[in-house]
Amino acid sequence: MDKILRVDMGAEGGPKFRTEPVGEFAGLGGRAMTTAIISKEVHPLCHPLGAENKLVIAPGSLSGTSASMSGRISVGCKSPLTGGIKESNAGGQAAQVLARLGYAAIVLEGKPEGDDLYKIFINKEGVQVSVDNSLKNLPNYPLVEKLKGQHSDRAAFMTIGTAGEMKLLAASIACTDPEKRPTRHCGRGGTGAVMGAKRVKAIILDDTGLKMREPKDPEKFRDANRRFVEGLRKHPITGEGLPAYGTNVLTNVMNEAGAYPTNNFRTGRFENAAKISGEVQAELEVKRGGSATHGCHRGCVIQCSGIYNDKDGKYVTKQPEYETVWAHGGNCGIDDLDVIARLDFLDDNFGVDTMDTGAAVGVAMEAGLIPWGDGAGAIRLVEEIGKGTPLGRILGCGAEVTGKVFGVERVPVCKGQALAAYDPRSVMGIGVTYATSTQGADHTAGYSVGPNVLKSGGDLDPLKPEGQVEMSRNLQIATAAVDSTGMCLFIAFPLLDQPETFQALLDMIGAFHGIAMTGDDVTALGKSILTMERDFNTRAGFTKHHDRLPRFFLNEPIPPHNVTFQVKDEDLDKVFNW
Amino acid sequence: MTRLHLVIGPGRVEDFLQIFRTGVGVAVRVGCSLQDLLCGQFQLDESYVDRRITTIFLDGKPVDAVGSARIREGSTLALSAAMPGLAGAILRRGGALAPLRGNIMREDGERNEAPERDGVITVKLFNLLAPELAPGFLRRGVLLPAAEAEAFLRRRPPAFWDGCREILLDGRRVEAALLKGGCWAPPGESVDLSVALREA
Repeated sequence: MDKILRVDMGAEGGPKFRTEPVGEFAGLGGRAMTTAIISKEVHPLCHPLGAENKLVIAPGSLSGTSASMSGRISVGCKSPLTGGIKESNAGGQAAQVLARLGYAAIVLEGKPEGDDLYKIFINKEGVQVSVDNSLKNLPNYPLVEKLKGQHSDRAAFMTIGTAGEMKLLAASIACTDPEKRPTRHCGRGGTGAVMGAKRVKAIILDDTGLKMREPKDPEKFRDANRRFVEGLRKHPITGEGLPAYGTNVLTNVMNEAGAYPTNNFRTGRFENAAKISGEVQAELEVKRGGSATHGCHRGCVIQCSGIYNDKDGKYVTKQPEYETVWAHGGNCGIDDLDVIARLDFLDDNFGVDTMDTGAAVGVAMEAGLIPWGDGAGAIRLVEEIGKGTPLGRILGCGAEVTGKVFGVERVPVCKGQALAAYDPRSVMGIGVTYATSTQGADHTAGYSVGPNVLKSGGDLDPLKPEGQVEMSRNLQIATAAVDSTGMCLFIAFPLLDQPETFQALLDMIGAFHGIAMTGDDVTALGKSILTMERDFNTRAGFTKHHDRLPRFFLNEPIPPHNVTFQVKDEDLDKVFNW
Repeated sequence: MTRLHLVIGPGRVEDFLQIFRTGVGVAVRVGCSLQDLLCGQFQLDESYVDRRITTIFLDGKPVDAVGSARIREGSTLALSAAMPGLAGAILRRGGALAPLRGNIMREDGERNEAPERDGVITVKLFNLLAPELAPGFLRRGVLLPAAEAEAFLRRRPPAFWDGCREILLDGRRVEAALLKGGCWAPPGESVDLSVALREA
């Protein structure tokens, strides 16, 4: 991946592109790449939908190799949802194909005049940017179906649905899975709106005739990959739980913990959580001829995804993830998996973030638009998004906008982005991450890659808030580093428990690049990414006052434990002390 | 109390897993430690408890020390395998990230502990542990409210009854038709349901 493709969508006379060497961005991948480019090249005060913003698409540093689990693609920009820097990543095939095409990044710049829509096609012969207004107003599924017919079997697609064309703040970018369905989304932060503002409807990537990226030391790489895969397979989470039940395995457990936000964060327990649990979902999928075990990209050995069919055995959607089941389920008082699956399909088809959309529907219920638990009503609301009605446009801009329009106080967002499926009052450490993450309320920002990362920074009393702050810091550092490799974040669990698996990952990275990597290198990379992101956000006008949870989390005890968020502001301000 | 004993063929344990997700009553000696309950009364291997039951809730709070957590009358015990995500890591028993759930930490190790006596607790089994542990609990017998037991059996598909070798209601052999359609337990009471697996 020695080149960057820059496409100036606003060039005089029509979009123009150039390919340049990676230069100063050499060695970066995924989130490291997107953050480096955005923080350097985008004016922090620009309008996110304007010409000054850029959309950076970057595979991970290990994508396109034979490394298992290396299929994540990162998309970065100034977020129209949060107003800060954004990195949103997804599985699917795009990362591997783009990496094999040799591109460390695609950078969409500028903004065209007029309302033509463009598609970008990249193969080993080169790049084509062309107008294709026949794609206008196509939701993602029919869009990909149309494009599939025009391209080879190896093509991977990154598309926006109608939400992205409308530049809605919760608009996502869809990436096709191995079956070429638009099911894997760069969901958070409105990246689809930025792509829509640049009038790009689809990016088609075709690596026909190209091989896997070769490591510097193939033998060491193969050995490290073998040990890495062994570690994933023998761990009960990645080798058993996730393949059997998917991420929705968390529903019963989070509910039992009293940390399952129900009815827009009113309580921590949902009476009917068991009905929408991963266990029930898996049984239903298998019974209906779908699958509870499926990989979102080739080379995935965890296989946490699945296929959800209706009662007649017809495809509805990919297996809804825990966050989606929560957002459209317990968060809204809905206990019907078929309703939730339909909502998941609509989100994917229109191209919106399932989490902010579910949160918006929850806020709409709080406002009294429809009753709690009204599944049919929730479907009608999301269909409004696809139609682009005024109500649909409000909902499609996420929970914060919906709350403002309808005068709702309890709006669960940080930096404009909706919280995830874990109540921060019950699990305060996640609340620290929600509040302080550079990305807005983000549940994936705080993972760990290994015990050495956790131990850095000294020993503090674990029951005191400072201990939680310290841990959140270390976890955010580690996650930023993992997000740069293109590796699926679920590798974190075996890395946490099995030092030999963490070492295998370091060896794999080292063997690919021909260098020796240590845990300290991982930490340094993560810190540098977060430093750039914090700096951008500061220049964009963010202050410490933005690193806070909504005050209702501090004031409203949540049943059943009746606790509030107790980490003090001055402790939150210490997260990025280094 | 109505006693219902079923003898079922292979492959039908999966039908019962759903009742464990919402919780079943189990008659135990309360007043003991969780360690004693799991390894003593439930006769689970210590290494299985250590290695496999990595997420435990007692009355909704995560347990870190099974030796000091006490079982009381009416306790709710939920058992799970290791969970994904940051939240899963935080909730894990004795995990390094346990401090991040400081707000819902258990405070165990009270000095004045009640003596052991007979009692009933609720047991929930989630994900991988449900198929592994349910057969043992079913052999031992679980308690369900009558209405719940009746509703559960009414919903069983034909294949379940085809695989049912024997049905004993309060010691008398009965036909499946009684359980499929009717009300066979006094309302408001409990049903002691036990299930024996018979291989083909």
